Amino acid sequence: MAENKTTSKKVEEEIRIGVYVCHCGLNIAGSVDCEEVAKFAATLPHVVLAKDNRYTCSDQGQEMIKNDIKEHRLNRVVVASCSPRLHEPTFRKACEEAGLNKYLFEMANIREQCSWVHLHDRKAATEKAKDLVKMAVAKAALLKPAEEIEVPILKKALIIGGGVAGIQAALDLADTGYQVYLVEKEPSIGGMMARIDKTFPTMDCSICILAPKMSDVGHHPNIELLTNSEVIDVKGYIGNFRVKVLKKPRYVKSDCTACGECSEVCPITAPNEFDAGLAIRHAIYTPFAQAVPSTYIIDMNLCLNKDGVIVCDKCIKACEREAIDFEMKPETVELEVGTIIVATGADVFDPSALPNYGYGKYPNVITSLEFERLINAGGPSGGKLIRPSDKQIPKRVAFVQCVGSRSDKVGRRYCSNVCCMNTIKDSLLIKEHWPETEIYVFYVDIRAYGKGFEDLYKRARKEGVKFIRGLPSEIIEDKRTNNLWLIGENTLLKEIYKINADMVILSVGLEPRKDSEIIQRLLTLSRTQDGFFMEAHPKLRPVDAATGGIFFAGCAEAPKDIKDSVTQASAAAARAGILMAKGKVTVEAITPIYFAEKCKACGLCVKVCPYNAITLNKELKRIEIVEAACGGCGTCSAECPFGALTQNHFTDEQIIAQIDAVTEQDADKKIVAFCCNWCAYAGADFAGVSRMQYPPNVRIIRTMCSGRVSPKFIERAFARGAAAVLVAGCHPGDCHYINANYHTQRRVELFWKRMEKQGLRKERLQLLWASAAEGEKFASKIREMQAIVESVTPEEIERAKKVFEKALGGS
Amino acid sequence: MPERIWRKPLDTEKVKRPKAEIHIIKDQCKGCGYCIQYCPKKVLEESEEINARGVHPPKVVDESECVICSFCTSVCPDFAIFVVEKPCEKGC
Repeated sequence: MAENKTTSKKVEEEIRIGVYVCHCGLNIAGSVDCEEVAKFAATLPHVVLAKDNRYTCSDQGQEMIKNDIKEHRLNRVVVASCSPRLHEPTFRKACEEAGLNKYLFEMANIREQCSWVHLHDRKAATEKAKDLVKMAVAKAALLKPAEEIEVPILKKALIIGGGVAGIQAALDLADTGYQVYLVEKEPSIGGMMARIDKTFPTMDCSICILAPKMSDVGHHPNIELLTNSEVIDVKGYIGNFRVKVLKKPRYVKSDCTACGECSEVCPITAPNEFDAGLAIRHAIYTPFAQAVPSTYIIDMNLCLNKDGVIVCDKCIKACEREAIDFEMKPETVELEVGTIIVATGADVFDPSALPNYGYGKYPNVITSLEFERLINAGGPSGGKLIRPSDKQIPKRVAFVQCVGSRSDKVGRRYCSNVCCMNTIKDSLLIKEHWPETEIYVFYVDIRAYGKGFEDLYKRARKEGVKFIRGLPSEIIEDKRTNNLWLIGENTLLKEIYKINADMVILSVGLEPRKDSEIIQRLLTLSRTQDGFFMEAHPKLRPVDAATGGIFFAGCAEAPKDIKDSVTQASAAAARAGILMAKGKVTVEAITPIYFAEKCKACGLCVKVCPYNAITLNKELKRIEIVEAACGGCGTCSAECPFGALTQNHFTDEQIIAQIDAVTEQDADKKIVAFCCNWCAYAGADFAGVSRMQYPPNVRIIRTMCSGRVSPKFIERAFARGAAAVLVAGCHPGDCHYINANYHTQRRVELFWKRMEKQGLRKERLQLLWASAAEGEKFASKIREMQAIVESVTPEEIERAKKVFEKALGGS
Repeated sequence: MPERIWRKPLDTEKVKRPKAEIHIIKDQCKGCGYCIQYCPKKVLEESEEINARGVHPPKVVDESECVICSFCTSVCPDFAIFVVEKPCEKGC
């Protein structure tokens, strides 16, 4: 023990920092003089060693760090390379392997936030890289070792959405041996795949291959199926989620044998949603023959007994099993799970937003989903492709591609991935049943990119399907025959076409579900600009959500076909399985540090904590912190007016050291930016990945949440003569820490008022909401702020220095 | 399945809906109005005429709307209303 004490004393006495400046091939070295940066680093306080090398993340690079730690007795390591969002874990691991606590490692992001965004200004980029290294070294000198706490992972999983992705994930996890809860909003599982007739490129019968899986889910001892149910509340954190599910009443007990006698006598009818409204159903019904569970359901919006009086008892009388129960009430089920898989699927585009195609007006213009139900033997026409206007089999059929996809005007910008192949499959289905049918496909590009896709495309061409490049500009109906004229330009032949068809099928795109927002809010997820859920890393963590313990499968993440959905579902199940098999996870040591002697028990921190991780003990006049519940946003530390709280690894001293490093030289030409790790910092990284160029005078300080940015940091930056300050975080409502960024907004607004009162231009402090996908928004904000920086006069700088003078003391 | 439903289903003729024949014994009615109030399809309304008991008996607004739940018969205190299924004509 005594010896240990002396060692730790020694560490405090002598800080030995090793700095590694990475070339990343030419990614960094192409626009930053890495050798010069390393030479500069060697002159910084506490730095005992500074090197530049080609690839620091390579095995040799890591070995070098490990050897140096031992050989040169390094007790802090700084790597200047890519984003910590990419390789911080790699280097932390290397440090740990050499016996150095991983919290003694720091990174300077000189690739995404320097070399890639200043490609054509080597001098400025090199100067910026030096500053970034200086900031990292300043923080590193103050780093403290930390131990991570372990959190147990419950060996149960929740899957939201019972489409093919949810089904596959549920089966994989259940087969591995974990308890699975599968929650589906609709009366039956099956999702979109159950509604499709055949699948491409193999032309398998969709429901024939799905139904056995659905039935497996229904019978699996490890799966509890909750249909007609919705997730209404999620609390907790990785490994320990507490979920509330609203189970809406079916009004039919599971004794139901699905004989259908009740439906026969039910006097009320309505269009069946499962058949896209093309077929009829009763108020008591099953959406389709293979539904799981097969138990019938009563649509209480339609039933004559909706007002609580049994007016009509026809179904009750018809049911031999006495399974009908009008007394059933909605019920809230509480579940405890360790992992969650989001498999909520996608919606289809409503083409009535494109009036030139006449959908909703001309009966014989249908969507591809309506086509699926028409060509399906279980559909309203028994598998006969009939025109809605006269129920005749069409002789000339036209498909229109990219309806609601790849459009800047109406619909979505992205390619929906499945429509080209779906149309090719549909055209072959028509040819199979009615070979004489003339088929036209109007397209922009045919994207037959997958395994076996090109063969199917060739087959369609061989069978005589005519592919015409150029979408119709308009579809006009012949009022007498209800036939349709498609008018447009063939862009290959540069000719105007006017083609007559008996029926037009609009190949509608996929879009994010309208209720994605609810799931996003409940699980604190982020979404891309397109509106689909965003993965933690687009290449290397494609099924993980940024929030720990949550994974994606299927179209919730992006439009994809059945095969990709199933693949992703198995991947998500495997990822969730890894956590559950391990049974525990360590939580990053970025929890609060509490100085009880400074605490006045005012309770402000308790109010702002998004996780209810802090409680006030009025008797003892102190607070209590539940570390396992802490999300690590640091909002409590920013809120405390007495300095009684700070955040591990993002302490006030460390952040102030970074601010001081930035403002040591030419502060009056610089922007000090505080960016949250999940949105704004990631957005700045994305600007780098996309090589968006912006002025090099910004210095980014990373905090986990914008809620960590204490007003005293802003004061400090201005007191040190910074020209401008940027606080950037996730969009309100999208905060990774539930609602912590609302506190950011409140604090910045208050700061603006103070600035105005003191006669300072409030434009010098900017607030930006930028998601991880909004690199351009970040870049243009910096361009905009450059103009502000240039307009700030020396008098203004001096005035701000004076106003915030007090912030310089007591760091 | 949040797609907009706007078409008339293509197989409506598949579902046979029995046709109702509503019988009101006007002079037996005391005008309590239960049948009008409780009809789930709002098939009945108060008539203008005055019956033997000096009240307005109900009249049928749209017989084709009636689904023969016979709740009117159940709630009528005076046994003044009943519904039968119309005999099937031409293979209805």
